[in-house]
Amino acid sequence: MAAATALADAIARLDVRFGSRTVVTATNAADRARQRRFLTGTSFDRLSGGIEPGSAFAFVGEGTCGKVTLALRAVAGVQRDGAMTLWVDGARSFDPLAAQRAGVDLRRVVVVRARSGDEVRLAAGAGLRSEGFRLVVIDLGPSFAQVASIDALAPVLPQVRGSTSALAVVADVPAMRLAIPTFTFERVTWESRHGRTVGWSFAVRRSDAADREQALLQAI
Amino acid sequence: MNVTDRESSKGLRAVAVVHLRGEVSDARHTKVLEALTRLLPRVGVEGRGTFACDLRGTGRLLGPPERVGARIVATLERVHIAAAIGIAPGPFTARVIAERAPTGEVARLREGEERAFLAVLPLSTLPIDEEHREELALLGIRNVGAFAVLGRGAVLDRFGRAVAAAHALACGEDAGEVHGAPPRRRILARRSWDAAITEREQLLFALKSALDEVSGELERDGLSALRLEARLEREDAPPLRIERLVLPPAANGSALLRSMRWALEERPYGEELGRVIGVRVEATEVEPSRGRQIGLFAADGASEEEAIAVARYLRSRLGPGGVVRAHVSGPDARLAEREAEWEEVVS
Repeated sequence: MAAATALADAIARLDVRFGSRTVVTATNAADRARQRRFLTGTSFDRLSGGIEPGSAFAFVGEGTCGKVTLALRAVAGVQRDGAMTLWVDGARSFDPLAAQRAGVDLRRVVVVRARSGDEVRLAAGAGLRSEGFRLVVIDLGPSFAQVASIDALAPVLPQVRGSTSALAVVADVPAMRLAIPTFTFERVTWESRHGRTVGWSFAVRRSDAADREQALLQAI
Repeated sequence: MNVTDRESSKGLRAVAVVHLRGEVSDARHTKVLEALTRLLPRVGVEGRGTFACDLRGTGRLLGPPERVGARIVATLERVHIAAAIGIAPGPFTARVIAERAPTGEVARLREGEERAFLAVLPLSTLPIDEEHREELALLGIRNVGAFAVLGRGAVLDRFGRAVAAAHALACGEDAGEVHGAPPRRRILARRSWDAAITEREQLLFALKSALDEVSGELERDGLSALRLEARLEREDAPPLRIERLVLPPAANGSALLRSMRWALEERPYGEELGRVIGVRVEATEVEPSRGRQIGLFAADGASEEEAIAVARYLRSRLGPGGVVRAHVSGPDARLAEREAEWEEVVS
């Protein structure tokens, strides 16, 4: 009985010091985490379980295999709750028209044109530390690969934990030294209509998963 | 009860304007405002080093206006501040008298004497812009008395509302009120540590409690910090002073901490923080808190302000064109570059 009283007292003190609901039961915490996740509205959600704020992941694969397409879908998913997104565009590959077609509200995407690894880290760090964004996307596409790789983002990753934002990194090559959940993209087939190429199908799978479960998507 | 006591107790208008002599620093201005606020119920600021005190209703408690004026002069002399006092029914006339009164003197105009007093003064005494003053001079009007005899309707027709208001002042109709400006309460917090802090992250952690205290004070007064100043006391170096402009103005502790974090991160690369043993954080400039979009219909609508603040910070670091937003202007345009346009998020 005394232990229960002491525990309640300690929880009350923590609530006063750090805000209400600082201490919650594990079940409640899991429920809240599930509610905060956002979905891309594609079969990728089954594979990933949704994107959770405070998490980091990478989309990796060769050029034109759907990484940016899926990242744009993720942005659209975040925006369904009215949130803002920060797109750190090292590769200068952000295409407003493609974004609009993916359902992105362009007014709620802030695009940062970074020119160096330092600028990428600065922008990503500022976005993750603020409470203004729910998703920070870093595009290290082929034109930026010589400037910075996923490994160069090591100083940014500690800031993801506890952030209200998730971090998505889009790159051609996977990290060599950094442990970051990675989704590998692979183009399956080109889609054509009336003899013209209109898009492609691609497969996504978790690099660290033992099984071969994958999501199949289309970019038209 | 003499005549002046009766005037004050009846609520007749009497305004004392305190005009400081010599150079007026920020500290001196604030000190005088604080001293006057302790003496009188309503004190306004007319300009730097010039204060208007409403003496209505103070007769029974403080005595006639002249006595109040003498008391103000004596109080200021005790702290070595030289001033002259002008007392009149309105703030404009009281100010004109105070500016012309000898240092340490109290000069008073009674009701009905204003017009005669002002009549001999040059036209530049009145708040009339240069262009209109020159036009009046061409008409042969060079002092307040000559201006006052003009018809009010004619002045309004020819020169407009602002000059007509100056004409009313020339006629002794000073309807100005004293708008109270209480001295700002200093919102600050201090912390000191036995063990010196050398790491930035540890310092930020330690700063949090001080900033939470500042945040609490701000929220209690319904204010937001616009400018934040921190003074870090160091064991091995002179104090480090950090000043931040908080945009958008915030009372929230985490926003203040974020601003401080950015300030510490912006320090030149390789510059040591030193051994920090204490800090004083003060909200040096505040403004009333404005309402925020609480996001009734958009769950994260309130975050947009934060996002814009980040965009502003990044633009300051990356330069023009570094932080942009796109909009599709012509999805069917023949040239790809005509499809979309980019605009600065903050300019």
